[in-house]
Amino acid sequence: MNLSTKSRYALRALSNLLQQDSCLSIKTISQREKISSDYLEKIFSKLKKSNLLKVTRGANGGYSLARPANQITLKEIVDILEKKQFSCPSSCFCRSKTVWQQIYSNFNHYLQAITLDDLKASSKKVIYLDHAASTPVDPQVISTMIHTLQPAYSASTSSIHQYGRQAFQLLEDSRQKMAKILNVSPKEIIFTSSATESNNTILKGVAFANQHKGKHIIISSIEHDCIRQSAHWLKSQGFEITGIPVDKEGFINLDALKKSIRPDTILVSIIHANNEIGTIQDLQKISQICQQKKVYFHTDASQSFTKIPINLKKTPVDFLTASSHKIYGPKGAALLYIKSGSKIIPLLHGGGQESNFRSSTVNLPAIVAFTKAAQIAIANMKEENKKITQFRDYLIKEILTKIPKTHLNGPKNNRLANNINISFDNIEGESLLLDLDFNGIIASTGSACASNSLEASHVLLAIGKDHQQAHSSLRFSLGCQTTQTDLDYLLKILPQSVKKLRKLSPFK
Amino acid sequence: MNYSSKLLDHFRNPRNFGPLKNPTITSQVGNPRCGDVMKLYLRINKNKDNQDFIKDISFETMGCAAAIATSSILTELAKSKTLKEALELNNQAIVDSLGGMPLPKIHCSLLAIEALVAAIYNFYKQENYPIPDSVQQRYNRINTTCKIEE
Repeated sequence: MNLSTKSRYALRALSNLLQQDSCLSIKTISQREKISSDYLEKIFSKLKKSNLLKVTRGANGGYSLARPANQITLKEIVDILEKKQFSCPSSCFCRSKTVWQQIYSNFNHYLQAITLDDLKASSKKVIYLDHAASTPVDPQVISTMIHTLQPAYSASTSSIHQYGRQAFQLLEDSRQKMAKILNVSPKEIIFTSSATESNNTILKGVAFANQHKGKHIIISSIEHDCIRQSAHWLKSQGFEITGIPVDKEGFINLDALKKSIRPDTILVSIIHANNEIGTIQDLQKISQICQQKKVYFHTDASQSFTKIPINLKKTPVDFLTASSHKIYGPKGAALLYIKSGSKIIPLLHGGGQESNFRSSTVNLPAIVAFTKAAQIAIANMKEENKKITQFRDYLIKEILTKIPKTHLNGPKNNRLANNINISFDNIEGESLLLDLDFNGIIASTGSACASNSLEASHVLLAIGKDHQQAHSSLRFSLGCQTTQTDLDYLLKILPQSVKKLRKLSPFK
Repeated sequence: MNYSSKLLDHFRNPRNFGPLKNPTITSQVGNPRCGDVMKLYLRINKNKDNQDFIKDISFETMGCAAAIATSSILTELAKSKTLKEALELNNQAIVDSLGGMPLPKIHCSLLAIEALVAAIYNFYKQENYPIPDSVQQRYNRINTTCKIEE
């Protein structure tokens, strides 16, 4: 299944054409792409005949696209230039024919899904340093997911027929694999749609199932919004919420935690590794405190799952949240570990899927893909952490020494391997983010200017930063595809961007 | 949240930025607490009709892209206007000139207008001019907290 030289050259020439709004002559493209102009002429005249290209005469004339780039698919181009269709070459029936047909059909559909606009976007060099927000899906995971989208697994996992059984088998395989990773029993793993859903389920579900015991819930002051907002809502329902303070590096004050637990406390929820500043809490100690005080303990491990070893046989956690799209899996899948025997009311009532904890037709392709992503991440964890930690420490050191008036937010040790959060005095985070974006570097800010409220990041305020420092922060979160070249490029651009914005600032 | 291409252009290539030499008057609004601070420098001269007009104007802004872009466009809109004409500018004029602005960022355009009103107010004070009621009222309304006014 190869593209002919004609198709490959056509795509090269067209992507060159895409870089400009004006027309290009055959001669220019032929020089730029080192394709003979006679050959190119032949290809372009075919594309012109099929109304993909048009010719403008005159001094600045040449070829241009006849339609907008987002309306021309690669399939159209290939169909014009290839003599044969991509299909199973053998006309006879064999047992593997269905599989091959499937592969060819996937290939054709894939070409149909990609437009020239995508080609343009993919040829732009972008350094993605926002992995804490979301990660690109691993190609192996994509293949796994596509496979799970095939008719044989398309049935509801609750159906009794053979397709239902096949789908159910895949789901239970995933559950077992996830259980093995956390060292728990498969029946303690519940699949949900997002970390937000998992966290909402725990806060609201535990609160309402245990309100006869008490109405007091403890969270930390650096939780993700889905915990904070759930807690805030519970407050309006008559529950009492205590926020545990953290120190200047973001570590929970264990004494404060001990003292805050009361006879009517029903739940403690503390984020394992913080999404903004990367602080990794001592899960062992926190969970033991909760165990001794006989109060449920939940941890949001969205940032740490498959990045930090978690063994729930040894660590007495009652509930744990993990998410797919943070670990190179697709969006729309997450898990919730619920220790057996725990009292909890579901958020969603219905068909009783997921042991009655979460009714809904199960999102099997996303769950299977999530599981695949987790297995890949676990297999690479040690090596990956080593590499990324080195990158992180290098980047922090270089930024702090190269750029004056910069401060690291969060700890030096016990920090997520991929997290870098730095305040740049006298500039605002969002403007720095955008300036870097123009230069092909994608980072993120927890800065308030990105949201409706003008309040600065609650995490940075909780670790004692003032509002100005909190507004001037930027987070770089590294990923498995980050390279030294990326970092060098960042270190070249970042000082220039900071300098430019400081020049605009009234504060010097 | 999508910024218009005009807004992004003013952010990337800000016009009239940096301190003005020997300004007639300056103003500073916003609050580092809120993440936005805007400083304006104005040189005010008399035109041939003996009216005060903005001969030159520049800005320094710490803030998001929208804050920087609104500062930049404000200097373009206000330049060469008499103070009376300048006072007719409102935040809608800024938003329109930038080809629209995402809703959460509208407060940035307010900040730019506040900076201009504050500068003109400061100038009236400095020159011992009587301060018109409307200017006094607008000056009094300048937001010094981080609360977005509905």
